[in-house]
Amino acid sequence: MLPGLFDILGNIFISAGLLFIVFGVIGIYRFKDFYARILISSKVDTIGFITIMFGVILKAGFSMFSLKVILILIISIIINPIVSNAVVRSAYYSDYRIERKNSG
Amino acid sequence: MNDLILFAMILVSLFTAARVVFGPSIWDRLLGYNLFSSKITMMIIIIALFSDKSYLLDVAFTYALLGFVGIIFVAGFIQKKGKI
Repeated sequence: MLPGLFDILGNIFISAGLLFIVFGVIGIYRFKDFYARILISSKVDTIGFITIMFGVILKAGFSMFSLKVILILIISIIINPIVSNAVVRSAYYSDYRIERKNSG
Repeated sequence: MNDLILFAMILVSLFTAARVVFGPSIWDRLLGYNLFSSKITMMIIIIALFSDKSYLLDVAFTYALLGFVGIIFVAGFIQKKGKI
């Protein structure tokens, strides 16, 4: 395999992750109420994080650097859902409800 | 390639920071802060990759953990309406 292949693949993955993050931010501004907003953006942001870190690992090759990036990746995969859950739980339990005009 | 990615990330995190400023409710601000800190972690890692400094990864790791702890306690603080 030619050495440049991993570089190009890494760049492709990093830009794909960047695209996911742009979608995540669009998701923040597109939805009107809070619950839909956090439902979309926290998921898409985590996916973007995973894709970018995969691209970084591809570019860094097999070294101590990519082992550290894998550690950060695993920790972040665990952390992001917990944080989103904590935020939504605090919103729900302090009875922050969205007034739906049409449905009940 | 490096500056392009970093410029796009900075632009995106500006929009997230704008959500923190204009968020109608407190929890929107918490959401904006959460996304902003994960974007900062990504930027640190990308800078560490392109400048080939592996000690920056420890900075990103610590920042992710501290952001996590901070948001968990702020969310709990708001949920209890100020009583620790």
